[in-house]
Amino acid sequence: MALIELINLSKSYDGEKVLDEFDLSIKENEFITLLGPSGCGKTTTLRILGGFTKPDTGRVLFQGEDITQLSPNKRQINTVFQKYALFPHMNIAENIAFGMKISGKTQSYINDKIKYALKLVNLSGFEKRSVDSLSGGQQQRIAIARAIVNEPRVLLLDEPLGALDLKLRQEMQYELIRLKNELGITFLYVTHDQEEALTMSDKVVVMNKGYIQQMGTPEQIYNEPENAFVADFIGDSNIVDGIMMEDRVVKIFDHIFPCIDEGFGKKKPVDVVIRPEDIIIGKVGEGIMDGEITSNVFIGVHHEMCIEAGGFEWVAQNTKSYPVGTKVSIDVLPENIQIMNKPQSEDEEAISLEEVLGEENIGEDNE
Amino acid sequence: MKKYGKLLYLGIIVLFLYLPIFTLMVLSFNKGKSMSAWQGTSLKWYIEMFRNEEIINALGNTLTIALWASILATIVGLLACIGMNAMRDKSRSFFMGINNIPLLNADIVTGISIMMSFMLFGISLNYASVLFAHITFCIPYVILSIMPKFKQLENQTYEAALDLGATPLYAFFHIVLPDLMPGIMAGFLLSFTMSVDDFVITHFTRGAGINTLSTLIYSQLKIGVRPTLYALSTVIFVLVLVFLIFINIASGKGESKISAKSASKEDYDYKGSSPFKKFAIIFGILVVIVFAIKFTPTVPGKVTEKGVVYVYNFGDYIDPEVVADFEEETGYSVVTDYFDTNEEMYPVIKNSSARYDVVCASDYMIDKMIKENLLAKIDFRYIPNIVNLQENIRHFTESFDKDMSYAVPHTWGTYGILYNTKMIKEVPIGWSDLWAEKNKGTIIMPNSIREAYMIGAKMLGYSINTVNEGELKEITELLRKQKPLVYAYGNDNARDLMIGNSAALGVVTSGEVLYAMDENPDLNFIVPKEGTEVWTDMWAITSRAKNKEGAEAWINYMLSEKAARKNFEYLTYGIPNKKIKDLTDNPILNPSDEVLSRCETLKSLGSKGDDLYSKYWKDFKS
Repeated sequence: MALIELINLSKSYDGEKVLDEFDLSIKENEFITLLGPSGCGKTTTLRILGGFTKPDTGRVLFQGEDITQLSPNKRQINTVFQKYALFPHMNIAENIAFGMKISGKTQSYINDKIKYALKLVNLSGFEKRSVDSLSGGQQQRIAIARAIVNEPRVLLLDEPLGALDLKLRQEMQYELIRLKNELGITFLYVTHDQEEALTMSDKVVVMNKGYIQQMGTPEQIYNEPENAFVADFIGDSNIVDGIMMEDRVVKIFDHIFPCIDEGFGKKKPVDVVIRPEDIIIGKVGEGIMDGEITSNVFIGVHHEMCIEAGGFEWVAQNTKSYPVGTKVSIDVLPENIQIMNKPQSEDEEAISLEEVLGEENIGEDNE
Repeated sequence: MKKYGKLLYLGIIVLFLYLPIFTLMVLSFNKGKSMSAWQGTSLKWYIEMFRNEEIINALGNTLTIALWASILATIVGLLACIGMNAMRDKSRSFFMGINNIPLLNADIVTGISIMMSFMLFGISLNYASVLFAHITFCIPYVILSIMPKFKQLENQTYEAALDLGATPLYAFFHIVLPDLMPGIMAGFLLSFTMSVDDFVITHFTRGAGINTLSTLIYSQLKIGVRPTLYALSTVIFVLVLVFLIFINIASGKGESKISAKSASKEDYDYKGSSPFKKFAIIFGILVVIVFAIKFTPTVPGKVTEKGVVYVYNFGDYIDPEVVADFEEETGYSVVTDYFDTNEEMYPVIKNSSARYDVVCASDYMIDKMIKENLLAKIDFRYIPNIVNLQENIRHFTESFDKDMSYAVPHTWGTYGILYNTKMIKEVPIGWSDLWAEKNKGTIIMPNSIREAYMIGAKMLGYSINTVNEGELKEITELLRKQKPLVYAYGNDNARDLMIGNSAALGVVTSGEVLYAMDENPDLNFIVPKEGTEVWTDMWAITSRAKNKEGAEAWINYMLSEKAARKNFEYLTYGIPNKKIKDLTDNPILNPSDEVLSRCETLKSLGSKGDDLYSKYWKDFKS
């Protein structure tokens, strides 16, 4: 049984719908990430789960029990806030002890727990330090320590790394994965950073406009985006119009590309996604289309190049550099071409409930 | 060069800030009363201050009102902020606007409107009404200091506390409140100082017998501020200084103590936060000071069998000892309040916003109050000491109070010319000397309508109560002609300018003369030959007096030889009492009948007359 079930949640602020009939179920010991641009409803979902916001409609089940109206202090859920929210007038030890004091733990238990938690977040010996004397990364780790000493069943993390610099963010990502494995509790992570989501999660939920766009393992999300929004949001993509001529054949800018997708019908307009690293650059005439390099930027490991071909500017990544002006050809392996139905309307950008459940089943099979 | 410039700049700023206080502190040790001449070092003003029940009481009132007002305003303001914080932005800014309006309101408007609301709802003015008014005007300041703290407050810390299992109340007291503490402290201290500072609102909302320092000091302006108040100000300044130093040391120490403690022991107890501690320290000290002052002095106004007499008097216009003697000898107890001018006293009696039994007022004001039925007839069967009153004064008071049935003189005097014997060769004989070209630039004329026109009228042989427009025009012309000769137009400062040798001829009342001559032996005084104004300040009983017997006992006692003697020695104003002729038998205080025959008393002119005077005075001043 799922540990947490969010059923049919809706929430609007000032008449604007932030969550619309939102459903999600979270299993025990899962690292699940809500990913989406700001305003997509991911933080609202988190706040509803933490008890800080009440949904307009819908229910929150915790182990099958309705906790929708339960106040935050009575939930077995702890939160790590975006801006750490440490108590500035207390030292580190007092901060960590706060929750345990309230639940009436003994002094020796608290002391042991503080030591353990500080060791866990690699900040042993920081007990008497003041909050102000800590760096952002250290403060974030204290915020995590403060939350986990209460042994919550679920830890909610609201863009906890957003305020850190790149290097620290990467370190903290590994730290979080390690923590989750050591503690064995469920993490619900909210971010707008797709790299974070893909690195840490067992399951990624891509959200937009209050709807779930796609749900699956990081590999599924990256390699098989369900729609143009997901493809665009996750990593760099070339999203182009194509016409599905028949099963396993797609026509792009009047060139025929073989692919592996079936069941779209004949002569059907579709969206085609091709990742930049999947574009094979060759000599003129060797590939499917010919084109010309129009820009070339070294981005570490790769060169990112734009190739003008068929009236479209393709983004391609390659370890080999081609100077600007070089005439080249491009080719794509059939399995690297991702075909998507075109949305009929904006609402259809969200996938329907049935599809979500179906997708989840696939996710379970994969694990 | 740049460095010296900086130092100089800093020096000038420090000088501007502290020179006035320093001057006051030095003068508080002056043996004499003078503001300009040093007459030896003495602690007598300090001793007088600590013996003076009124000052100590006023200080106690000031501080208890300030303390209670700031505590209550802080609580109310904090609660309001919590409410406003939970509002939507639109309604919050609406309420902030509402909050800010009273801040921009002039104090006088606030004061009068609060007084009127009290009267409307039939609430009697007393200590509580002042306290209530102070709470009212302090709340906006509290809200203004706490609200920004709420904005800075990371809402997340509150949510974090809830998240960690705290109840909303626990989270508020342990997490939100410590963060708000600087704002709360600022609001509290701001309220405290605003309350201590306030004069206008207190003045309008206080009841009989309630004085704060500001109302007490203000009421003494008529006679000139006594140096006891310099002593008081010095004491307050030093107290505040010590208080601030103590806070700085105490809070510094407090913090280091906390950290030392937790370092030595291996526990991470939550021991309360340092903002709380700091506040507790400040608060504790304040409470101790307030109650130390409130309960050290003997508490006056013990209600005796015969009851309380409420006296409304000019500030510092009788010897405080006389009050004590009166209480002892008659068995009444006395509560005195003070005002500075007749015009300040009048609305209080007229609206009976505070109820007094006996009131002291000047001749023209008595005239006005009789006409408006604000005074009760005195029953002279209970005033046997009336026989002590000098007969020659009756002529003047009877011009407005026939047969002396409403008011009995307390002090009297004339307007005349104070002159410096060293600075002019010829002794002046009359007002005309103030128009003499040879005295150009050494003359001080009064800066008030009635006195200035009185002089002009006497020069031209008119009545000083004339309302004939032609005559007023003439007088105005005369005064205008004098303008280039005049060194200054002044009222209260004429005496001090003369003592300081700044001018050679000054118009003052005879009451000031003995004091001035004491300070500067070169000074002398004449009553001008053209005649002058005789003024009388009189005791009267209000028509709404609750204790008429007490009021009559008071008036009777003031006419006794003992009281007259003490009052004269204290005030050096003329007191028309036959029994102390040995002290006052001198032409300055007691002019000859021949001079008095050319004198008159100011009368109330009626509103038409007042308008006419104002019109020409404005014309003259422009």
